[in-house]
Amino acid sequence: MTQPDNRPFAIRTYAPNQLREALKRMYLIRRFEEGAEDSYMRGLIHGTMHLSIGQEASAMASCMELTDDDKITSTHRGHGHCIAKGAEVGRMFAEFFGKETGYCHGRGGSMHIADVKTGNLGANGIVGGGLPIAVGAALSAKRLGKSDVTICFFGDGANNEGAFHEALNMASVWKLPVVFICENNGYGMSTSIARSTSVKHIADRAVAYSMPGVTVDGNDFSAVAEAVHHAVARARAGEGPSLVENLTYRWRGHSKSDRNRYRTKEEIEEWMTRDPIARFRAELIAHGVLDEASADAIEAAAIADMEAGIEFAKASPAPSISDVTRYVYAEN
Amino acid sequence: MNAMTDKPSSQPQNLRTLSYSEAIREAMAIAMEADPTVILMGEDIGVYGGAFQVTLDLVDRFGTDRVMDTPISELGGAGVAVGAALTGLKPIFEFQFSDFAMLAMEQIVNQAAKLRYMLGGEASVPVVFRLPAGSGTGAAAQHSQSIEAWFGHVPGLKVLQPATPEDAKGMLLAALADPDPVMIFEHKLLYKMKGHVPEGSYLTPIGKALVRREGTDVTIVAGSIMLHRALEAAERLAKDGINAEVIDLRCIRPIDHETILASVRKTGKLMVVYEGVKAFGVGAEISAMVAESDAFDFLDAPILRLGAADAPVPYNPDLERASVPQVDTIEAAARRLTRREV
Amino acid sequence: MPVEVILPKVDMDMTHGTLAVWHVAPGDEVAKGAALFDIETDKAAMEVESPASGRLHAVSAKPGDKIAVGTVVALIYSEGENTVEVPPPPVAVAPVSGPQPIEVILPKVDMDMSHGTLAVWHVAEGDSVTKGTALFDIETDKAAMEVEAPATGTLHHLMAAPGDKVPVGDVVAYIYPPGMAVGPRPSRAATATLAEQPPNPSAAAPIVAAKSLVNSGFDGNMRATPAARAAARQAGLTLAEVKGSGPMGRIQRDDVTAHLEGHSGEIRGSTAVGPEIWSPQFGPLHVSHRKGAGIPLVLLHGFTADSQSWAPLEKALGPDQPLIRIDLPGHGRSPRRRLRSFADLARMMVEAFDEVTRTHDRVHLLGHSLGGALALAIADIRARNVASLALIAPAGLGPEIDGASILGITRASRAESLAPWLRRLTATPGGISDDYARAAMKQRNDPALRAAQVDMAEVLFPDGVQAFDLRPALARVECPTALIWGRKDHILPYRHSLATDGDFAIHLLSDAGHVPQIECPDRVARIVEWHQSGALVGKR
Repeated sequence: MTQPDNRPFAIRTYAPNQLREALKRMYLIRRFEEGAEDSYMRGLIHGTMHLSIGQEASAMASCMELTDDDKITSTHRGHGHCIAKGAEVGRMFAEFFGKETGYCHGRGGSMHIADVKTGNLGANGIVGGGLPIAVGAALSAKRLGKSDVTICFFGDGANNEGAFHEALNMASVWKLPVVFICENNGYGMSTSIARSTSVKHIADRAVAYSMPGVTVDGNDFSAVAEAVHHAVARARAGEGPSLVENLTYRWRGHSKSDRNRYRTKEEIEEWMTRDPIARFRAELIAHGVLDEASADAIEAAAIADMEAGIEFAKASPAPSISDVTRYVYAEN
Repeated sequence: MNAMTDKPSSQPQNLRTLSYSEAIREAMAIAMEADPTVILMGEDIGVYGGAFQVTLDLVDRFGTDRVMDTPISELGGAGVAVGAALTGLKPIFEFQFSDFAMLAMEQIVNQAAKLRYMLGGEASVPVVFRLPAGSGTGAAAQHSQSIEAWFGHVPGLKVLQPATPEDAKGMLLAALADPDPVMIFEHKLLYKMKGHVPEGSYLTPIGKALVRREGTDVTIVAGSIMLHRALEAAERLAKDGINAEVIDLRCIRPIDHETILASVRKTGKLMVVYEGVKAFGVGAEISAMVAESDAFDFLDAPILRLGAADAPVPYNPDLERASVPQVDTIEAAARRLTRREV
Repeated sequence: MPVEVILPKVDMDMTHGTLAVWHVAPGDEVAKGAALFDIETDKAAMEVESPASGRLHAVSAKPGDKIAVGTVVALIYSEGENTVEVPPPPVAVAPVSGPQPIEVILPKVDMDMSHGTLAVWHVAEGDSVTKGTALFDIETDKAAMEVEAPATGTLHHLMAAPGDKVPVGDVVAYIYPPGMAVGPRPSRAATATLAEQPPNPSAAAPIVAAKSLVNSGFDGNMRATPAARAAARQAGLTLAEVKGSGPMGRIQRDDVTAHLEGHSGEIRGSTAVGPEIWSPQFGPLHVSHRKGAGIPLVLLHGFTADSQSWAPLEKALGPDQPLIRIDLPGHGRSPRRRLRSFADLARMMVEAFDEVTRTHDRVHLLGHSLGGALALAIADIRARNVASLALIAPAGLGPEIDGASILGITRASRAESLAPWLRRLTATPGGISDDYARAAMKQRNDPALRAAQVDMAEVLFPDGVQAFDLRPALARVECPTALIWGRKDHILPYRHSLATDGDFAIHLLSDAGHVPQIECPDRVARIVEWHQSGALVGKR
């Protein structure tokens, strides 16, 4: 007599080495963000940055089933997506430090990290900028007869941009293989969802564009993985786009200048008790995929990668001043 | 088989006339036939054939998968074209009127123009935007603008202005061969103009202006429909012994400095004629470029700009006509310049 | 901010010192220069003096402690500064390696922030803090920002007081985790700030220096088009001399032309040469080219000659050497120009040279006689562009010149009157045949050209004397320089080469006169080639 398998979706579906890798990447995202933050506070990083600490499960679980041929578009809060899609932290740090060895040779910075060759079409500095581009990537896949999907990450703030509505409409009309993933962390910079958006859940907007929409606990790895799994399968089968809303929270302010005057310390602390990494780790241990020691080892490995990445970036050369207009146009 | 050509074709054996819009359509057909990644996107370009009938019947030949009618979503649509270009397609995106490109500025200027640079050379956005531009049809202020200078201001874009059917075809084919985003501004009043168009595939070089009429007394730089008005003015001036050299600008970004400077060194007098609003327009850039160059020492008179009046395009036909340079005004300005009245 | 008292490096190879004895106690008033403590080193004990006046606090080392060079052992607070007392640490040794306390830094919180003002401390020295506890507030241009503890432990070594403006990234305190012994304040070696990173090794943006024309005199406040100004400059006119017919009296190029034509009847200078008349012309000097491989050689001929006189030497140099020949004003096919001085002429030649070097950044330069003086002037001003300089019997190195011959050549209107003077140019009169004289006269059959040259001679060689002195230039010139002179030069004496200061080679040629490049072109060509290749040794 077979027992129904009540284990969480991720545990049921993915091999142990995949789950371990997922945990490692989540730790890498967390430590990377903290390392970037520390470097920033020491004055080593120009500009500002938008940290995704607290949103690791949303990023990693959404990317579980993606290959290098699948595409993602990301947001200004995109470091986690980049790492989840396989980016090397050394080259990411190098980009933050403006070095020639960075993913964008120091020209783009935190908001424009991309690695087109492995399907990462880039973080984007314009809210809503990545949505139509993602639809275009899905159009390419369909026209060229490929089975790639495009995952389009965006935040709750973007869902009120015109580009969101235009993109979802076209994706649906043309039945394109794109999965729209909204990381709803409750605030578009300082403005809460309640004050800006006329629907309670962003997934409610899916019906307006004739696509399935689902809201999940974005800090629950399995919940996100399962929802995205179905959406990706639908897309690959040629059935068109979907909208997945991951409810999550960012522990840090919008950017480094944020004084957090629009939310309370209690709210932040309350969400911090629902740390997605701690939850996933506990789940893996509870289901025998890991033990404490190996989980610690995974975390330590992530920290080591992060530290090595910073050293690599510090030792890397800066671009030459005489190259200021290089890469504006194609080089022959 | 491609052939580079920089001179208007004059060989009798290829004497064949097409209209400007037919020439563009032929370019699209040639490109789409040769390369399955070339697709067309725009509003009403399928069975309707496009607002200016440029894409007429292409949907019958290539199907709706490759001739895509978009919803009225300029921002989203342009962004889809950008994303498609980023990932292996070569879209030609038609804005129904160039004025509507303003809705898509974000995707054109913040994304298409900048992606290669921001990504340190690791991305390419080979998208072509086609834009019907200009006044003279009574479409009034929001459907008649000439905003090509706005895009001349953006590093990362290339901005073309074909004046003849031959160039309209060759420039579109060149734009498709270019790995960078290209905007082609087509003047509405030129669509029905007929001219010689070579058969087959050829590329008109991007970034090269062309001396359409040689002369010694004054240099007139003009693009798009102004080229034809300048040539007509030059005919009239010639009867009085004033020999104007008329240069077809052809490309706003990059501007062909050397052709213009060589002419200024020869004539010492320069006029720039364009349909954009005079202030902050293409003429301002060319004037400053000449004044900054070694050709400065050859200037024997102030540089004149003829552009559109400092007002939205009027509806009333006489006002509309008076608001942009015409043959009369170009001729009069050239006379004043050569008669030393300025 | 308080002044740091560090354990100084007092010997070359010292890494640590032992604090032997304190001469003062915490809380004492100390004067700048007063003895604070002694260090024991491998050599004798050393007294360490106070770097400032004030009150001594935060003493963190005791006698017997072995301390790393550069470690802060105390702080001196000036009057009015708040102090924070640090109890002596229980553990003496402060190793450079080993577990370090956690730094509390002043963080960057705004994009363009370089400093922040510490507004208020929420905790004090020695307090226990947990990660996330508010430690202090920073004041910025925007609202105040609370800074939280990065770790759990006890807080020590507070180093900024309320009101202090602190650079971003600077440490303001340390947190010792539970179990870590509180030591003296660590040194700042570990963290490299942006300022400490090696300077950007990349080249500075290339600066293209515009080669402006040497200013021929400012004609301010006259309305004139750029083309008119250029024409006037080339014709040696001031704008004030020209009437403008343009709007607002603007002078246009046609006005300059008209002026020059209208004044064609004037003759300058006192040496009237009969009814010959000439008017200045404008336009660039005539330049001819011979293609080849490598660095071009620019040739400047002498007075009354022209670029065609180089033909024998060109043949001797062989076909590969690229050549650029410039006709002097009023010679060959160059426009006739009015000169007021050698400086005017030099200016015109520099202008032509600059045009040449727009396409050939570096050139060899060879000049003969007057052309030699001009080549020297060019090499002096445009050193960067000249790879080597060769001067054949150059003018300008002394007052003596055979003025009679010069004038004779210049004025002669027939082969018969030209030949005798031409014969003075070579070592022996036999070097010039009648046919040669006839051919030479054919080149000079334009009376306007001769008249212009007569006027030039009046300016350059008045009363048969060289009116310009290039000896200082020869002493100064930087590029490899060679003088080539015939010992039997009757026009300019070879001993001018010896009377001049400077480093250069002198090649004296037996049995050669004033024109060795025509008399013995092969010998001259070998010297020129040897000189050019020598100049490039190590520079390719």
